[in-house]
Amino acid sequence: MQDTPSSDSLYAQHEKIYPREVHGIFALWRTISMYALLGIYYITPWLSWDDRQAVLLDLPERKFHLFGITFWPQDFFYFALLLIIAAMSLFFFTAIAGRLWCGYACPQTVWTEIFLWFERKLEGTRNQQMKLDKAPWTSRKILIKSSKQFVWITFSIFTGFTFIGYFTPINELGMEIYALNLGPWETFWIIFYSFATYGNAGFLREQVCIYMCPYARFQSAMFDKDTLVISYDKKRGDPRGSRRRDVNPRDKGIGDCIDCKLCVQVCPTGIDIRDGLQYQCIGCSACIDVCNSIMDKMGYKKDLVHYTTTHAEEGGKKRIIRPRIIIYALILLTMISGLVYGISQRIPVALDIYKDRGRLYSTTSTGLIENVYTLRLINMDDRAHQYDIKVAGINDLKLIDKLSDIPMAEGEIREFIIRLQADPYDLPAQSNKIYFTLQSSDTTSIRLERESRFIGPSPRGRPRR
Amino acid sequence: MDIPRIQRFIAVLWPSFLMASLATVLFFTAFDPALFLAYTKFAETSRLAAYTVGFFLFWLLTLSSCVLTCFFQRPCEVNKP
Repeated sequence: MQDTPSSDSLYAQHEKIYPREVHGIFALWRTISMYALLGIYYITPWLSWDDRQAVLLDLPERKFHLFGITFWPQDFFYFALLLIIAAMSLFFFTAIAGRLWCGYACPQTVWTEIFLWFERKLEGTRNQQMKLDKAPWTSRKILIKSSKQFVWITFSIFTGFTFIGYFTPINELGMEIYALNLGPWETFWIIFYSFATYGNAGFLREQVCIYMCPYARFQSAMFDKDTLVISYDKKRGDPRGSRRRDVNPRDKGIGDCIDCKLCVQVCPTGIDIRDGLQYQCIGCSACIDVCNSIMDKMGYKKDLVHYTTTHAEEGGKKRIIRPRIIIYALILLTMISGLVYGISQRIPVALDIYKDRGRLYSTTSTGLIENVYTLRLINMDDRAHQYDIKVAGINDLKLIDKLSDIPMAEGEIREFIIRLQADPYDLPAQSNKIYFTLQSSDTTSIRLERESRFIGPSPRGRPRR
Repeated sequence: MDIPRIQRFIAVLWPSFLMASLATVLFFTAFDPALFLAYTKFAETSRLAAYTVGFFLFWLLTLSSCVLTCFFQRPCEVNKP
């Protein structure tokens, strides 16, 4: 490897960041968001709905149970639509106020916050943590460090267990762990996810945002001059300098920034917001909160570090509602209504038709043309149904094997091999469109039509009747 | 311009992980391992095992691609006087 000395070791350039605790309106919002999201994450798998886990993405059974609805792999379209909606919302919120997602809702931020909270509870404030790390290994330090690791690891394992609980029934999973009877693959994934949580929230932290997050790199493409960003008011703050409270900074020829560097100390990614907008900034607003508290103490106006837009900084006006936002909102609204409508109109049955490819057609002893099909019928509903299948599209097309009142239990999959017969004189072409219609005999709402082909001899060269 | 080594490791491991996850989701949505393994000697494999092995095979594949990209990114030695 032709490495430069600066990158000789994995962590050569990386210095541990000790974010200082901060209080303020944005910190409050961040805490509320953290508790809400963690609460949703840890509680959801324990909810039940109709005697079943309410949210269960049952991979072993290949069925996703979301409250009252069961989705099958055949419903992949809805999942794709959901992902597009998620991407679109990211564009929408980024265009309005920059990295709202990163600062308040990203799992990386949320789990880092809770790990930091544990760290502060056990190791104390920023200064105490730094002092402890520099101190020699006394029994007190060993006790503090090992209890921190114990809490982190326990919490990570619980996180991993919860995660796997979304994919296999969490009650059974809990029982299996209790009986020390957990399957090897579940065990592996619980450990894998726990390790990822521990590594990401305990150690990698801001490096995930800087090196791993694709969004951090391309977010600038979603910004415009009216996007709210966190910014330091250079005109008001500079030149920076320390001063006593009773000194008028104007007399000293300095700005409002007292250069206390607290904005740097609270930053979870260790940047100086006063250097301008940087891609490392995750928009957590900790610097706004801490600077406002200092401005209060000094008796200065708040918002030396604040949410603003490039336009406002250049002397223009803040303009939040603008064509871009309206267009994003309309697209988002259309797609969400599309998804809701699609799911409400979803027909919980699947009918796949495979024509027997081995033999295009055969001729019966009475001179009729016969085609063979395999029908695969899936009852995707959560209750039993009876189905009738009819076929049309060619005059006097005969369905040889009766397909009426087929009883199907919930989630049942069945295959039928059926024969269709038609008079060759009724076939206008070699390949003819036919339609299979499926109708549930116990409810009118389940009705489905599928197209297929009926193959016969070429009508050319056939004697006219 | 020199790149920190951790960034290089991540540039190989992380995108390949993401793409392997995506490939796993798409592949196993389209094909049910219980069906396509039914007539092979892996018929006893559980779906969860098949997903797991499938994911790591995909990761191996995407990882190789990322490693090659990283490798070919090195500047070619040009004979200079």
